[in-house]
Amino acid sequence: MTDEYGLEVVEKEKVQYIVVSIGNEQYGLDISYVDNIVRMCKITRVPKAPFHYIGIINLRGEVVPLMSLRRKMKLDDDEFTDLSRIIILKTEEMGLIGVVVDEVKEVIALSEDEIDENAKTQSPEKDNFISGIGKNEGELISILEISSIFDEVDNA
Amino acid sequence: MDVSQYLDIFIDETNGHIQELSDNIMLLEKEPENKDCVNEIFRAAHSLKGMAGTMGFKKMQHLTHDMENVFSEVRNDNIKVNSTLIDILFQCLDAIEAYLETVKATSGEGDEANEHLIKMLNEFLEGGDSSGDSAPAEAAASEDSAEAESAGEGYEYENLKLEEEEIEKLKEIESSGGKMYGFTVHIQKDCMLKAARAFLVYKAVEDFGEIIIYNPSSEDIEDEKFDLTFNIIVVTESELQPILDAISAVSEIEKIDAGEVTSATYTKPAEEAEEKKEAEETAAPAPAAKPAEEKKETPAPAKAPAAKGGAKNAPANKPVTARTVRVDIEKLDALMNQVSELIIAKNSLVSISDQDTRSDENQQTFHEQIEYLERITTTLHESVMKVRMVPIENTVAKFPRMIRDLSRKLNKPMELYMTGEDTELDRTVVDQIGDPLQHLLRNSADHGIEDPETRRAAGKPETGSITLNAFQEGNNVIIEVKDDGAGLDIEKIRGKAVERGLVTEEQAENLSKKEVIDFLFNPGFSMAKKVTDISGRGVGLDVVKSNIESLGGDVEVKSVFGQGTTFVVRLPLTLAIIQALMVEVRDEKYAIALGSIQNIENIPVSEIKYVQAEEVIHLRGMVIPLIRLDELLDSTPKEEEPESLTVVVVKKGDSYAGVVVDNLIGQQEIVIKSLGKCIDNNKIINGATILGDGEVALIIDVNAIF
Repeated sequence: MTDEYGLEVVEKEKVQYIVVSIGNEQYGLDISYVDNIVRMCKITRVPKAPFHYIGIINLRGEVVPLMSLRRKMKLDDDEFTDLSRIIILKTEEMGLIGVVVDEVKEVIALSEDEIDENAKTQSPEKDNFISGIGKNEGELISILEISSIFDEVDNA
Repeated sequence: MDVSQYLDIFIDETNGHIQELSDNIMLLEKEPENKDCVNEIFRAAHSLKGMAGTMGFKKMQHLTHDMENVFSEVRNDNIKVNSTLIDILFQCLDAIEAYLETVKATSGEGDEANEHLIKMLNEFLEGGDSSGDSAPAEAAASEDSAEAESAGEGYEYENLKLEEEEIEKLKEIESSGGKMYGFTVHIQKDCMLKAARAFLVYKAVEDFGEIIIYNPSSEDIEDEKFDLTFNIIVVTESELQPILDAISAVSEIEKIDAGEVTSATYTKPAEEAEEKKEAEETAAPAPAAKPAEEKKETPAPAKAPAAKGGAKNAPANKPVTARTVRVDIEKLDALMNQVSELIIAKNSLVSISDQDTRSDENQQTFHEQIEYLERITTTLHESVMKVRMVPIENTVAKFPRMIRDLSRKLNKPMELYMTGEDTELDRTVVDQIGDPLQHLLRNSADHGIEDPETRRAAGKPETGSITLNAFQEGNNVIIEVKDDGAGLDIEKIRGKAVERGLVTEEQAENLSKKEVIDFLFNPGFSMAKKVTDISGRGVGLDVVKSNIESLGGDVEVKSVFGQGTTFVVRLPLTLAIIQALMVEVRDEKYAIALGSIQNIENIPVSEIKYVQAEEVIHLRGMVIPLIRLDELLDSTPKEEEPESLTVVVVKKGDSYAGVVVDNLIGQQEIVIKSLGKCIDNNKIINGATILGDGEVALIIDVNAIF
């Protein structure tokens, strides 16, 4: 919230987002949450884990759970390609969590007035994770609300 | 002078003394004639008093002083021990503990004077005995001997060897008309904080004048590099007597030699004194080497510290107290992490060596290196684990007292028997196991043990017994809390569960005994008819269960109606690194803790029998249920059943189970990693580990599959 406050005061200040594609859509992840981006590696399935967790991976000696945003957003299941990446997010409550994306595109900077917070998507499930829609060179980018992805672990 | 640097030692040692007092008072209650016990108590109370005095905790000192008086009377057979006395003493102990808590929190002793306790003690003292001044007798005796020691030699302060400048200084003061007094202060032999004592003396004296000569020097005093005496020369305008009084007010001072001195005192006998001093030094036990060790000393029974002050009179049969080093748990964690990494590195080397195709000779040395590395990591692991391991003794030591209090409160005679207090567990586990165990014991005392009439009617001894057994079993430590009370009334619990709407009547009918007992661990489920302040609010067993599960353990209940109940608490021995058997289910690798594995069998499919539609095998006279790990883990179903199954027979307490796996990989030392909060809702998997090739394998919690 302080970020947003900061943005209000200094109008020109921009937040950097990592733009990734999942399916046909593009999503923006606030770069301050991103710890690391790694290539796909061997995933160990965890039996009886919540559905949207694919499993766990070894990140330099640490065991990190891996979440599928596709499963979380009720899209088709992941297909891992050479372009697939794991974005390691760092959250205060949960520690490190990896999310799988189809492709990492670029890093962009958006100021607050470039993000339309009122834009609504059709699917009610998706609404929960998206805090607004940003525009970049004619493309629409859904800004993911990182904390809400992990908040609703039990719902899915 | 500041005594705060001694606060930690004070807290540690006071804890030790309180525990010792508590133990001995309990013993005394049973054996009122036990003289050794009274002596122990006297010593502990005396040390407590001394230490409280040293630290300037006057109220605490006052209370312990009065306790000591009572013990002294008991020791001299002027007072008989009875239950009233024991009750008062326990109340005093609680008060001392309260002081200690206040000291811990605020570094001060607080305002509670506990006058009612002191009054009770004194009343008891008067009621029990009218003559009552045998306490100082001992002090007088020791004074006599000390007097004899120094007689004929002249006082030590008169024989000090002074530097030229110092004598000059004395002369100067003399010429300006100042009065000077020399003091030789003798500290009691069993004094524990000599330096603090000396500073208190300095402080007292400084109210009257300036100390011009310190012997030994104040640095040496601070480092406790002195024996039982120290000397000072003071310039003052006051008379001698008030100063003497002030010094005497400091406790644990045996006696003070004092007198007016002049520069002439030191000019003449300087040489003589030197010789004498040397002789004295050689005779004295070298205390200089001790202080460093002393600081690390943990709460030790009163007898040990007493030995430190005067090694001369230490009897040979003293128990050796364990010297523990307090280490910041964070440092240990760091060390543990390093070891973890080392093991991971080793594992990757092992996996490389498996694929290595170089010449045979290279291969050989490579393997030797690996073996070496393996040896190092294993020993390193062991030693680090040992550092983390502490006996459960400290945690369980307070329980006998608790049961005694409960016994009186509930009006049910009962005894607590404990075994295996020296069983060691990881520090973090020991720290957290106290509350759950306390709950279980209270539970046994309140619900388990019946009142004496019922017991007599049932043909049991009137005194109920509660047993706390701790022992190691494989990679687990088992703590059993057992009572010989009424046992669980399964039907009553079943009824209660229906009443509370947890199950329908029909469902309840079909529940097994174990399932019914499990209701006890439901939040808010209480079998007590009335709520007491001991238990019955239904808060307890569920908390116990969740506490123990958060430590990676579990609780089990065994009960025979009419004969008693046993709670079995199973805790993991270590939290970090274990020996495990790696197995394969389809293409996934899993680890099973070696400690819970009994043996491994190859069972032809044809030997599988069925009991109540469950698969079992018959093995050396035992019928063992089969657990298909692939089904449990939702693995992809197998296309065709092989002719024989690989069965890992695992053990939990007295029960066995056969775990069916596809393949065995081998034994490995693995580092347990948490799965993280988000997928932790999984009972079968209790962690993950990273294998040599970087792959992550899951660890099966065998205890959860039963």
